[in-house]
Amino acid sequence: MSYLLLIVEPVDQRRNRPAHEGREVYQRMLDYTEQLRERGVLLASHSLRSAAVRLSVREGSKKVTDGPFTEAKELVGGFFLLDCPTREQALAHAALCPAAQWATIEVREVGPCYE
Amino acid sequence: MACTADLAMMSSVAMMAADVKRAIDAVWRIESARLIAHLARLVRNVGLAEELAQDALVAALEQWPRCGIPDNPGAWLMATARNRGIDHLRRERMLSRKHEELGHTLEMEQHMNGSSPESRADDEIGDDLLRLIFTACHPLLSREARSALTLKLLAGLTTTEIARAFLVPEATIAQRIVRAKRTLAEAQVPFELPRRAELRERLSSVLEVIYLVFNEGYSATAGEDWMRPALCEEALRIGRILAELAPGESEVHGLVALMEIQASRLRARLGADGEPILLMEQNRTLWDRLLIHRGLLALARGEALGETRGPYLLQAAIAACHARALTAADTDWVFITALYDELVRLEPSPVIELNRAVAVALAYGPAAGLELADRLAAQGALSCYHLLPSVRGDLLARLGRYSEARGEFERAAALTRNEREIRLLRNRAHRCERGEL
Repeated sequence: MSYLLLIVEPVDQRRNRPAHEGREVYQRMLDYTEQLRERGVLLASHSLRSAAVRLSVREGSKKVTDGPFTEAKELVGGFFLLDCPTREQALAHAALCPAAQWATIEVREVGPCYE
Repeated sequence: MACTADLAMMSSVAMMAADVKRAIDAVWRIESARLIAHLARLVRNVGLAEELAQDALVAALEQWPRCGIPDNPGAWLMATARNRGIDHLRRERMLSRKHEELGHTLEMEQHMNGSSPESRADDEIGDDLLRLIFTACHPLLSREARSALTLKLLAGLTTTEIARAFLVPEATIAQRIVRAKRTLAEAQVPFELPRRAELRERLSSVLEVIYLVFNEGYSATAGEDWMRPALCEEALRIGRILAELAPGESEVHGLVALMEIQASRLRARLGADGEPILLMEQNRTLWDRLLIHRGLLALARGEALGETRGPYLLQAAIAACHARALTAADTDWVFITALYDELVRLEPSPVIELNRAVAVALAYGPAAGLELADRLAAQGALSCYHLLPSVRGDLLARLGRYSEARGEFERAAALTRNEREIRLLRNRAHRCERGEL
């Protein structure tokens, strides 16, 4: 079974952090990644840059909007894709994620959109 | 009315208790291996270490539903288990005041009181885990005992779960585990990493167990207990852990690559009625590209170590050839033949020879393959193996020699007990009668 942990953080959080603090929390996340790898549950993970572009195609015409998006309060700062048998285990791993202390971890099971 | 409210409250309390129980199970599955590994090095007895860890689990089951789940459940379990360990050693010291043991106990208490597991270097915990893997897969134990013990100690599965996964009675597994622990204790197997000279041999015993567990899960058919396919996940997880702990061993990466690539086909390998679908006929869009990607990475990691490729790395390389081919027709059979050549040289086995014959037939034509299959038939080593006549039948039919092919398919049908395969082979025999492929 695969579960995706999405790190959902307040939009301004990164910008408002002093550089040394930013490097420190980033390092903690790298350590956590390493821990997941050592436990054999990590399938994939990445941090994401803040800059984003939104794209949609409606009736054949493409619309592209560059960020930042003023209405957005949160952004996805990164993700971890885990291979673990139960939702509870995914939650237990999520609880150990350092980002849980300054962001929200959204835990989603991988599966089809429509059955 | 009050009654209804009470009931509602009671059921919500019961639900919370169930939630806590599930959370404890989850933490146990994640932490138990590290817990046992750490304790085993301190008390120098894997069986005792597991009991201490279990005691901590029981304490959690008693306390967490009442007081809530601690912030760091893993650290809580570790601290509790260590305290039980110290109690145990004190009692032991009271019973026998042998000088030697006293020394050992004191040294151990220093260990236990001194460095907390959190403050210890990660690679030290890693070494404990590696020791635990090598101990659970010790050559003193039978293959069955090794797999059961590995799943118990490293995957944190219960005896019931292991029994369900292997389709054997629970008592059998319980006994296997008890006996295995006793054997290790009686032989005073040290909780140590094997010395350099033995390492390769001991490692191959570990890899064998992991692959055995994986194949148990892989051979499960649809509709069977979900615990069986879960064995694939557990084997993969232990394999990935091992690859992080022993990154310099190319065969570990080979095994992980092989398992990731095979697991990528899990969804494609059974039809709607649970009938097996052969590799060449699978719908490749159902293959899990992420697992393939991971498999190819593991293969590259193993090959980058630059040693002569061992059997797992070679099998992974063959699996990778299939994984890279977007359609069955794209398969690079010439390259696969070369890999089989290398594999046969390394591990001469008639089954591998037969696989090689199939690859040769697809790379260089049915006549070349048949020549090899005929040679195998003449050796008589596979006289009871239905796939030999089945392969020969297929190659003969491709060469238009239908009456000989029919005889081979009938022989193959008589050698297998699998209903589905019998039907398939009889069907081919009938087609040969009509002069069809």
